[in-house]
Amino acid sequence: MQKLGDFKLPQFFNYPPYFTLQPVRDTREKQVQLWKELILDYCRTQKIFVIGLEEEFPLFSNPAIERSLSHEAREAFLSALVSEGRAEWLDKRHRKCLILWHRIQEWANIILNFVKENGLEDSVMTVEEIRSGIESRGTELHGIDRTILMRALKLLEQKGKLAIFKGTTADDEGVKFSI
Amino acid sequence: MRRRPGIGGLQTAAAARDQYRLLGENVAKIRTDLMKEQLTTFRTQLEDFARKHKNDIRKNPAFRSQFHDMCSKVGVDPLASNKGFWAELLGIGDFYYELGVQIVDICLATRPHNGGLINLQELCNLLRQRRKSDREAVSEDDCLRAISKLKVLGNGFEVISVGKRKLVRSVPTELNKDHNEILELAQAQGFVTVAEVERRLSWTTGRAIDAFDTLLDEGLAMIDDGHRDGIRRYWFPCVSSISTAVGADT
Repeated sequence: MQKLGDFKLPQFFNYPPYFTLQPVRDTREKQVQLWKELILDYCRTQKIFVIGLEEEFPLFSNPAIERSLSHEAREAFLSALVSEGRAEWLDKRHRKCLILWHRIQEWANIILNFVKENGLEDSVMTVEEIRSGIESRGTELHGIDRTILMRALKLLEQKGKLAIFKGTTADDEGVKFSI
Repeated sequence: MRRRPGIGGLQTAAAARDQYRLLGENVAKIRTDLMKEQLTTFRTQLEDFARKHKNDIRKNPAFRSQFHDMCSKVGVDPLASNKGFWAELLGIGDFYYELGVQIVDICLATRPHNGGLINLQELCNLLRQRRKSDREAVSEDDCLRAISKLKVLGNGFEVISVGKRKLVRSVPTELNKDHNEILELAQAQGFVTVAEVERRLSWTTGRAIDAFDTLLDEGLAMIDDGHRDGIRRYWFPCVSSISTAVGADT
């Protein structure tokens, strides 16, 4: 099976027609479904949080069969993810897309578990520590996109699980857990 | 017997005809009886054979195929009923029933990709992959037999020949001659273009596009506009094996 790094590509990726938006509705639905799954899987395993439509994203082309997704196709597949709540456009012109291979609520739960497992129920951490501190190593939180992290934290704040406070600079925004 | 004129002569002739007729019927009956006896003997011998070679029949697809041929020559169909001597002795009924179920499964699973038409070779490959752990090997002949049993159940399964290949159809889509010819052309590279169809089959553009549109609508074809020559290609998943579309292996 063809691979991108150590990611195993599905067989449809080698079939040229899948790189052209299909006109027939049922065929298009199947096509969109396959691409949605591929994009999510790839981003999850490679820890990619943002896709730029005009950038060289490895999934957008397959040199082995000399095919690339048109801009329209890229937008169609990502829009499908957005409709499903698995992605969000970061700009009105749809040039950048935030990929939520975990939904915000799922990230929030991951943070809660992280706090419990490390006995941090009443402590204080900076936002940066949550995503790059020693405790985060080996967990899904390590390297998490800041935007996503802040959204998850805000969600938890609304539920009274923590309080976000600003430090002296943006870099040391902090979190006081009260779980 | 001397012919004698007059009524007596006519009666004698009639009696003679009757006797000849009776003789003829007797001969025919004797021949039939003899044949029936021979067939019975043959069938008994076939049953003995099946008993002795039960394992070979189960394990060896080529042997199994020849056994089926022998059976049909004698008018025996081991698959005719799931009960009865043959099915019980060989358990063959179960084997083909199981194959049939797996074939239906595979056809359903691949339908979104190929529109309900799959080539026999790929079907067998997928079947073998599924049955990897089973001791019993499966041949294309086995697939065809299982499918013919499926037909009897009215599942809408059909095997059609297109060019050199056999395709298994699991949807009610009827392919007309134009569609068949396109599929046959497509077997070479997995795709065709309008120009190619016009050239090789001497069709008008309109006729070609009509045929392609129907094939697209049925989910049997997909368009590909990505080649750098800018010419639209129509691909047919049913004539290629998805796992060998571009030499990529599973």
